[in-house]
Amino acid sequence: MKRLLLPVLLLAGCGGGAQQDLPSIGEARSLAAEWAMINDLAARGRINATYAHAMRAQLREQLKSAAATLSQPDSRYGEEIQTLLTEPDEAPPEELRTHSEKLKQIEDSLESA
Amino acid sequence: MNPLELTLGIMTSVGGFVDISELVFAARAGSTFAFALIWVFVLGTIGIIVFGEMSGRVAATAKQPVFNLMRHRLGLKLGLVTLAASLISNLITCAAEIGGVSLVLNYLVGWPYMLNAVLMVIAMIATIWVLPFKWIERIYGLLGLFMIVFAAALVAMHPPWGKIAGGLVPQIPPGLSTKELLTFAYFAVAILSAVLFPYEVYFYSSGGIEEEWGRKDLLTNRLTCIVGFGLGSLLAISILANSAIQFGPANVDPAIPGTAALQAAIPFGKWGLILALLGMFFAVAGAAVETCLSNAYCVSQFFGWAWGRHKKPWEAPRFTIAWITMFVLALAIILTGVDPMQLVEFAVLFSILVLPLTYLPLLLLAGDKSYMREQVNGPIAKSLGWLFFAIITVAAVAALPLFFLTSGGQA
Repeated sequence: MKRLLLPVLLLAGCGGGAQQDLPSIGEARSLAAEWAMINDLAARGRINATYAHAMRAQLREQLKSAAATLSQPDSRYGEEIQTLLTEPDEAPPEELRTHSEKLKQIEDSLESA
Repeated sequence: MNPLELTLGIMTSVGGFVDISELVFAARAGSTFAFALIWVFVLGTIGIIVFGEMSGRVAATAKQPVFNLMRHRLGLKLGLVTLAASLISNLITCAAEIGGVSLVLNYLVGWPYMLNAVLMVIAMIATIWVLPFKWIERIYGLLGLFMIVFAAALVAMHPPWGKIAGGLVPQIPPGLSTKELLTFAYFAVAILSAVLFPYEVYFYSSGGIEEEWGRKDLLTNRLTCIVGFGLGSLLAISILANSAIQFGPANVDPAIPGTAALQAAIPFGKWGLILALLGMFFAVAGAAVETCLSNAYCVSQFFGWAWGRHKKPWEAPRFTIAWITMFVLALAIILTGVDPMQLVEFAVLFSILVLPLTYLPLLLLAGDKSYMREQVNGPIAKSLGWLFFAIITVAAVAALPLFFLTSGGQA
């Protein structure tokens, strides 16, 4: 039922510009997942600190630019990306993965709409 | 044929095969379409083997580099158009490579990206100035062999070999929406462009002249192209396959080059990561040097200036000024703050438009008995050459519409 409702709710809340924002939503979803992967490997000591630091800085920059290109920054996905941006560099991977999954749900719903 | 020289030549080709565009598009293709685009890498590799071998054979037999031929074969006007398009394509590619190598240096040592770009350009200018041609090519190519860690990572991940082998068969995955089909087509065109970058042929054939290849080097040329490019392509395919296994299920579409290095960190930890970054560093730096020198070769050969790294820099002053100017212009592009990943997209797009103009005169000359005598294209080289010319022409026509329809593959 939730799956059926989600596209309807999204369409009601988002309007036509949401389709335009799909590439940025997809980018943000991927960046959140990449960030989760980095933090996961860093926590297990499998990557060094210099690389992790540089990657997080770059991912954050890319996220900011993805957020800046949104035509509907106040939409649900816009808020999700903003919330993601407030996460600290060393945020728990599970939390970052949750953001990525939420954005993926929104992306899938918009694509099928 | 000197076996040591041959081995070094092949290893150099392997280490120098992957550049920033192949790295980015292989990783993105794998995460988005799993193994379904492997066959495009194979197709592109056969293409670069065909044209690489042809350009080396022309260099060894007719002693003519590619751009010298263009002026004669295409005439001055069309030749100038091709020259201008190639210069722009190579310049954008060079800027993308400098951007890529600066990012990799940032991951390795943490220095700021812009500072890295300046330092790298100074280092690359110094390398070209000081080293003879063979060693410029070999140092970057051989150190680029650290990229083998990506193939080792693939083996360590116990991948589904059957599915990987299935990717070798030309295919379009079933059940794709129109948008996904367009994105698939865009990736196919981009991969072809990245594998067949025109600078590779300019550099390879000019290198043949630099090293004074003759008929005795024809077998070395053939083996270097077939084995070197073939094995190099396996590295690119490993990156794609790793991406399909590690990134696709995790919702990652690698947006930045640093993500690709994680492929080695997942099975091997810190050392895997460092080897992957070192491999990327030298392979991409090598590509920056090659694109830069290619432009200097193109312009010098077209206008009939003295050229070549076998000469001292002051013995070929216009050639020297050309490659230094190229580096400075590419650096200037990076210092504007443009996203290097955007440059990668533009490089791939612009290059595919130039490809038919690059390969047509080569194909004509390699098929001309008055120049090539008994080394003229045989039936296999001729058929494959024209087949690939048709493929890249179709790809060139489709490239721009696909780029806009898919927002650069992000649709």
